[in-house]
Amino acid sequence: MKLVREPLVHFLLLGAGLFVVAGLMSTGSGADPGKIVVTTGQIEYLAAGYERAHQRPPSSDELDALIRDWIREEAYYREALALGLDRDDAIIRQRLRQKMEFISDDVAAAAEPTDDDLQRYLDAHADAFRLERRFTFRQVYLNPERHRDALARDATALLAELRKSGVTADVTGLGDAFLLEHEFDALSGSEVAKLFGEQFAAALATLDTGRWEGPVESGYGVHLVLVRERTDGRIPALGEVRDTVRREWANVRRIESNEAFAQQILRRYAVTIERPSEAAPSVAMSGDAPR
Amino acid sequence: MRPAVMLVTLVLGGALALPADAADSAPTDLGTLDKDAVARVVKTPGYSPYAGRKFPTRPFFGDTHLHTALSLDARAFGNTLGPEEAYRFARGEEVVSATGQPAKLSRPLDFLVVADHSEALGTMVEVARGNPAVMNDPNCKRWHDMMKEGGETGVRAAIEIIQSLGQGKLPKALMDAKLGRSIWQSYTAIGEKYNEPGRFTAFLGYEWTSNNKGNNLHRVVIFRDDKRKTDQIMPFSSLDSENPADLWKFLQGYEEKTRGSVMAIAHNGNLSNGRMFALVDFFANPLTRQYAETRAKWEPLYEVTQIKGDGEAHKFLSPNDEFAGYEIWDKANLDMSELKKPDMLQYEYARQGLKIGLKLEKELGTNPYKFGMIGSTDSHTSLSTAEEDNFFGKHSGVEPSATRAAHPAAKFGDAVIMGWEMAASGYAAVWATENTRESLWDAMKRKETYATTGPRMVVRFFGGWDFDAKDAETRSLAVAGYTKGVPMGGDLKQAPAGKAPTFLVAALKDPIGANLDRVQVVKGWMDAKGDLQEKAYDVAWSGDRKAGADGKVPAVGNTVDVAAATWTNTIGAPELITVWKDPDFDAALKAFYYVRVIEIPTPRWTAYDAVRFGTKMPPEVSMVTQERAYTSPIWYTPGT
Repeated sequence: MKLVREPLVHFLLLGAGLFVVAGLMSTGSGADPGKIVVTTGQIEYLAAGYERAHQRPPSSDELDALIRDWIREEAYYREALALGLDRDDAIIRQRLRQKMEFISDDVAAAAEPTDDDLQRYLDAHADAFRLERRFTFRQVYLNPERHRDALARDATALLAELRKSGVTADVTGLGDAFLLEHEFDALSGSEVAKLFGEQFAAALATLDTGRWEGPVESGYGVHLVLVRERTDGRIPALGEVRDTVRREWANVRRIESNEAFAQQILRRYAVTIERPSEAAPSVAMSGDAPR
Repeated sequence: MRPAVMLVTLVLGGALALPADAADSAPTDLGTLDKDAVARVVKTPGYSPYAGRKFPTRPFFGDTHLHTALSLDARAFGNTLGPEEAYRFARGEEVVSATGQPAKLSRPLDFLVVADHSEALGTMVEVARGNPAVMNDPNCKRWHDMMKEGGETGVRAAIEIIQSLGQGKLPKALMDAKLGRSIWQSYTAIGEKYNEPGRFTAFLGYEWTSNNKGNNLHRVVIFRDDKRKTDQIMPFSSLDSENPADLWKFLQGYEEKTRGSVMAIAHNGNLSNGRMFALVDFFANPLTRQYAETRAKWEPLYEVTQIKGDGEAHKFLSPNDEFAGYEIWDKANLDMSELKKPDMLQYEYARQGLKIGLKLEKELGTNPYKFGMIGSTDSHTSLSTAEEDNFFGKHSGVEPSATRAAHPAAKFGDAVIMGWEMAASGYAAVWATENTRESLWDAMKRKETYATTGPRMVVRFFGGWDFDAKDAETRSLAVAGYTKGVPMGGDLKQAPAGKAPTFLVAALKDPIGANLDRVQVVKGWMDAKGDLQEKAYDVAWSGDRKAGADGKVPAVGNTVDVAAATWTNTIGAPELITVWKDPDFDAALKAFYYVRVIEIPTPRWTAYDAVRFGTKMPPEVSMVTQERAYTSPIWYTPGT
């Protein structure tokens, strides 16, 4: 893994530390550069951080150690900035970009949709919120490894017997042992597909209800199936799916708003790309991000 | 031993067990069960054998260990997808990966733990929330209004805030550090948004990344609780301490403070250079009883397989196990700062860890390494992929490309790990009664789980004293299993005189995957001299193969066409079920048993890469795999 080789990974923890410091920068910066003031607020912050991690406040010795450490960190931090050590450091660049994105996300999250917004979104994406078709069914399994060439014949014979005995027949002794259930109650189409595969789920949608049908193939082998009830899917009212619609609406907003944020920032720069000689000449761009 | 397929005969034609003669033959072989015992797992043994069941009827599949762009290392490799995309992908939606490639799972997962590396963030955006403590400041108030207006105006507000931050002119009201909203809280909020009980579970969790001297002692921390509880703490990070015992203290503190529930899951013992299942603690002191109890309490599971190598069994430790040594990473520790020495291996692999646990239990009175098994990806791409034909790699730098396999992924001195050595693995399977945080977490706590290297096979494993061949024929295997025994993760005690433990073992293939080659029971025990022993038994297999004199069943064959990256299910079995009795049981000796299920050979992800990118792989690249599942053990303890 590159992950374990890159020297910068060794600075990951350091990076996390810087991040905390960066969050506190406001307390340290802006004052006399030759002076470090540990404010009451800063001390409270250090104590609170310790308490969150250890579930108890620091002892006075521990707090002194935290303060001493913070002073050293602050001094190193300022010296490092003065030396320009933050420049061209991949981790720091990534971290700063990430912070900008957090801010951007937060801007997006500030917007609250109205019911009208949500209803319009639901109307425009009705299929995405469609309540799924559900199946109540029984199935008897035939294992192809056991029946080999007789599989089709055995399935036909078993189907005939099942039809003769009717829909309430006890089938627990029939067919082959099978690790999944033999009866399913109002299982959604996607869950059917998860358990039996898409092919089986698709077949279930086409079978006559109220009688034994099959053989139906799945990834396991073949099944004889009695669909007792099939509830068709439908488009829900907003009240039934409000949280989901809100989540989806907010996600679209988030993506749009983040893009707008990026464009807003990029608009402040004239970008020149100096490609290595070759065919493409150097181009100057403005505003939009190179894709 | 006869193959399991012989145990079951199809009832057909005139012999059909239909209502008229059901009294004799039908319902579920319940006649062989004790009625009171049945009542424990089935409320009303009425007409429908399915009504009122209290036990899990299907496993749920998920990933307990996924990183997104919120993890700085993931970010550093170019991952730009956050937790929202991670949840969407796991729920089965198509997303565009960080390298611009559309990605979608073959089918949705049931649950996900986004486990980003723990770290705190204080941003100043309480403003947006209109926190009353800051609204007295005119600037804050103005920014708040601008943000509320949204759009360009909102963006301008954010930029103004950033500028004042950069110039040290931030309003004093915002400088109070306690206002800093933590990344943790926005992160747990996203988890809440995507958690849909009954359909998809989004656990709240994170990863504690202790990496002392480059030795991996990482733990994923998983909460049973919702945001109201998890937001009362900040994640305990390895900056706070690299000592697992301190993490356990923190977990204890969390539970006491919130009355919530939390567990930790360790992984990659193979990169710990002998520290994962050691005989000593973090400071190299001998383990104590208290250490053993604490570890066993907080760490009920171990992540046995993932992209950075499979950790079930190593050939060096298990020379007689021809299936040991799957997808092994044994060159060095995590950052490759120290090369592997053979004597480290015994403290790194799950099977040996379970064995050492027996020995420590004798010395300390408690087994610190009494863990169940799960698999997960530890992917850093926000994409939880573990399937060979849909593998998006360890991090965004090794997403599908023509060069990823043959390119060195890590190098330190003489040690090199090539891209092709990544394992497309694994997932966690959990026998829960429903798909909710509570039900899944509880099942994980009781170790009713198994690991897979990617496929979603269904695996049942019950231990008891009275299973017989008929239990493998029942159509309600779980009723027999729960009634007459304990499921995976359980304990067998008080051996009845003259009896050996019996096991009901069953596996069903992935509905869209490969057939099964065989099912094995792996036994580990401590002999009378105190030496640790192990043996893998073939207990069920496909076809007409006969076990050799050594008890081993010959190889299943191979249908893989490497050049085309295809295979066929013309060999192997879709389902294998049997009852197995330990032929070498000694009631005086501590032991554990777990099941390993082996699929028929299929193309490895490297074979799909070669076909899809039209590249030729170097000769040393393995192109064929036999995927597998490992269940949590069932332990036998004498004299209890």
